[in-house]
Amino acid sequence: MEIFEVISVGIIASVLFLLLKDKQPSIAFLIIVLTVLYFFVFVIQYVQEILHLITYLGEEANINEIYIKTILQIIGISYITEIGANIVKDAGLESVAVKIEMIGKVFILILAIPIFKSLIETIINIFPIT
Amino acid sequence: MIKFLACVFIIGSLTWIGHEYAKNLANRPRFIRLFKNALQILEAEIVYSQATIKESLTSVSEQIPNPISTLFKNIAGDIQQDKEQLYPIWEKHVDKFYNKHPLQLEDKEILQQFGRTLGQHDIIQQQKYIRLTINHLERKLTEAEERNHRYGKMSRSVGFLVGTFIVLLLL
Amino acid sequence: MIGDTSVLFQIAGIGIIVAMIHTILKQMGKEEYAQFVSLVGFIIVLLFVLNSISDLFQQIRAVFFLKG
Repeated sequence: MEIFEVISVGIIASVLFLLLKDKQPSIAFLIIVLTVLYFFVFVIQYVQEILHLITYLGEEANINEIYIKTILQIIGISYITEIGANIVKDAGLESVAVKIEMIGKVFILILAIPIFKSLIETIINIFPIT
Repeated sequence: MIKFLACVFIIGSLTWIGHEYAKNLANRPRFIRLFKNALQILEAEIVYSQATIKESLTSVSEQIPNPISTLFKNIAGDIQQDKEQLYPIWEKHVDKFYNKHPLQLEDKEILQQFGRTLGQHDIIQQQKYIRLTINHLERKLTEAEERNHRYGKMSRSVGFLVGTFIVLLLL
Repeated sequence: MIGDTSVLFQIAGIGIIVAMIHTILKQMGKEEYAQFVSLVGFIIVLLFVLNSISDLFQQIRAVFFLKG
């Protein structure tokens, strides 16, 4: 069970953080950042398996490859935005974290434009405006 | 295993460097104090028993612990051999001593200046010069003691800590 | 499976030692050296973290087809 490893690493990191908090706050913060990065690197392997499943299902269902790829990219952007926002929030800069999340949303929208466009086109094809 | 040995080696050598530095710091006030004592004895010899410089230097060297005792003995010995001026001999030996022991440049300068006056004046003047030099040395002594007190312990622990730091970096 | 966590301990050790050197130098009245030591320690730890960040970003790019 890998979850025990994650929990123990988290506990160790928080103990080390408490140890350094008074003397060297910056280095203590970097410890937290490193732990968070470890967690995300750790969990990305499992995310990869899920993504493989999604692409497999898409291929079986004969969905256009571009759509699947776009969705995966959107998930990736939200993932990485979450990481960045979390780290910045740990440093106590709530406002910067909010901006990062907002910019992430904007990029997701931009990526979604082609799908949205094709959706509109399909609807127009079904109900042609004469 | 080799890694462990290297770690021990790095920590050990840096701790040693720190100790050496602290030892130098601790030795300087000791030497200055000894020089002060030597000059006091020299003053007594010159003013009260009115001995020649060679005799007084020899008797100083008999009453003072070793590194300085040999310095004075060597100077006295060199005077015996030929009849040149005293100052070059003094300068040469003080220079040699300065290179071997943890004295600072200023301490050497004070001693050299004193050597320039030695044997050039009558007893009263000579006594004044000795007093002046003792005063100078007194000032240097308090300064050196303060430095030792301040940085002695620090250099020890900083040496050890820097060693550990480097080991951690290389791990 | 979470990689080597020894880096965490290494960084904590660096932090503790830097803090000790900082305290000693500060006690001896060498304020500017103390600040400098803190800065150097921070930069070294930052290098570790930067390595890790670039690792993570490379991996995310590979997994989510975000190249280019």
